Amino acid sequence: MLQVNGLSARYGPIQVLRRITFHVGSGEIVALVGANGAGKSTLLRTLSGLHRPSEGEILFEGDPIHRAQPDRIVRLGLVQVPEARQLFPNMTVRENIELGGYVHGRKHVEELLPKVFDLFPPLAARPRQKAGSLSGGEQQMLSIARALMARPRLLVLDEPSMGLAPLVVEEIYRTIEILHQQGTTILLVEQNAMGALAVAERAYVLESGRIVLSGDASELMEHDDVQRAYLGKEYRYKWER
Amino acid sequence: MPLEPVESQSREEIRMLQMERLQVALNRAFLNVDFYRRRMDSLDLLPEDVRTLDDLRRMPFTTRMDLAEHYPYGLFAAPLRSIVRLKITNPMLRERGNPVVVGFTRHDVTMWQSLMTRLYAQLGVTDRDIVQVAFNFSLFPGAFTFNHAAEAIGATLAPSATISARLQLQIMQDFRSTVLATTGAFALHIVETMAAEAVDRRRLYLRLVLLGPDPLPEITRAYLEHGFGVPVYGLYGVNEMVEPGMAGECPYKSGMHLAEDQFLAEIVHPDTGQPVASGHEGELVLTTLTAEGYPLIRYRTGDVTVLRDSPCGCSRTLARLGPILRRTDNRLSVRGIPFYPEEIENLLREVDPALDDFRLVVTTSHGIGDQLEVLLLRESTRDYPGGGRPQYLEMVRSSLRRALGLGVRVSMVDRDRVPREGLIYKTVFRSAEPFRPA
Repeated sequence: MLQVNGLSARYGPIQVLRRITFHVGSGEIVALVGANGAGKSTLLRTLSGLHRPSEGEILFEGDPIHRAQPDRIVRLGLVQVPEARQLFPNMTVRENIELGGYVHGRKHVEELLPKVFDLFPPLAARPRQKAGSLSGGEQQMLSIARALMARPRLLVLDEPSMGLAPLVVEEIYRTIEILHQQGTTILLVEQNAMGALAVAERAYVLESGRIVLSGDASELMEHDDVQRAYLGKEYRYKWER
Repeated sequence: MPLEPVESQSREEIRMLQMERLQVALNRAFLNVDFYRRRMDSLDLLPEDVRTLDDLRRMPFTTRMDLAEHYPYGLFAAPLRSIVRLKITNPMLRERGNPVVVGFTRHDVTMWQSLMTRLYAQLGVTDRDIVQVAFNFSLFPGAFTFNHAAEAIGATLAPSATISARLQLQIMQDFRSTVLATTGAFALHIVETMAAEAVDRRRLYLRLVLLGPDPLPEITRAYLEHGFGVPVYGLYGVNEMVEPGMAGECPYKSGMHLAEDQFLAEIVHPDTGQPVASGHEGELVLTTLTAEGYPLIRYRTGDVTVLRDSPCGCSRTLARLGPILRRTDNRLSVRGIPFYPEEIENLLREVDPALDDFRLVVTTSHGIGDQLEVLLLRESTRDYPGGGRPQYLEMVRSSLRRALGLGVRVSMVDRDRVPREGLIYKTVFRSAEPFRPA
């Protein structure tokens, strides 16, 4: 579904992405994990058309989108749930969700809204509540709900667990799994590697703008490099006690 | 048995997967292996500069000498903590005094086993089979992979190791083995024992025979298929990477499907190193795509073959290696044990600095090295190492046996009886079968 070939991005003289190549197959849930500064956010901005790549190509369902405008990319079905939610705090839950669907027109919003509310009962119970007064977890749900209104063929989630309590993170990940089971293709970009690897099928590890590991998520979760980088496990030589 | 998705992907999809994995392999080699880091630095090359196979060709080849020079752990891309298996490739094959040590992470071992499982599946081996594995496990550690993969698919494993051919046949009958995995040389011995002991092949339950690690000459296949009365298949591996499991035949026997999801293959001219035209013979050069412990970039295997990516009757799209036509170096193999004449020479001269000359006589049986004889030319009849001439011969014999793990005949020869060497250094070949004109 998504094929990224040799993608580079830079901010002035600073090269952030170094010709990375990866893909997300239809129906997959793929994690892209990396520490702060690895280039995750730049990658997402580039996928969404908010940042022009310096070279390489992005193919979405075979169509090149690396020069497309963000609204066209969303119309094609590549929809992002941004980091830190970026909701409109003074608008209601319902209004925030509806905003996500206008790219396809009013009729579409009316058709899809009940289905999206079905997925998120806590939001359905409080459609008139101001978004800014929701808990962190509920705001994250709202952000996902808004993205679903754009009828994503590929849902890109940027750090959905950021700033949330562990129990809430579990709930968010459960939601992501449900979306996946319902057939949504998902690219999950996370610093919380263990959480992302637990729900993903495949994964890539991004380090200093390069992909340095790839493979089955369950396998990567056990990988020493991942454990060292994300769980602080130290290497020891076999002959050390 | 259904194919794994990668086995039936389009050539374009396979190429894209390879390029994606190559990026990771190069990044890891660059970040974790000083040898590759220095190489890339000297070429002013970064991993991300390699976007196509043509770009990869800017990287120099990795040779066996490079591996030996970094003994033991110099080329490891993972810390020893992550290495779960070490393999010392045949210690006889020493370059610059060092053997080659290969390290495998847990991922690598799993990958290796899964490739062998794939090869079994490709031949229709299932959990209903009884797989008799007859290898010398100490000389060919890769043989364990036959065992692990057989168990992984749920087949019943009968590891019969190196017991006599007569007992192998008894096990084959009593256990009702349906698959025999062994070396070509031992399979020949079993067939000859069947003839000598008048074992009727109809009393066997074999469905197929799988041979490795040496290449399978067609003449050997024909003889064995006649003897066993079942199809005989070959497989391919590289000692410094994955052996067995890297490539193997399907029932169409039109080449060995290469695990292109794990290895990137090039065929180059052995002398110039330049790529040869598609479908032409040349030296096989391999790059590991997912190996974590011991990544090798553009490794020269020394095997001359052909790579074809035309469709196969079995519907697999993975490219096929043709038969291994020859070696680019002097490597010989007797009963599956590889060695170089130069190494034998070093050993002989260590034992006896006064040695004048020598010849290796390799007797082949149905195309496979079956026996090794060493002829020594020593014009001085004084100061034999070890005392007298019999002690000297015994000393050479035992040194060779220790080094090779192979029984070797050793005798002395006069200068006028020294056979003329053939194309391979100090070596002559003799066929065990009488020559019969076509």
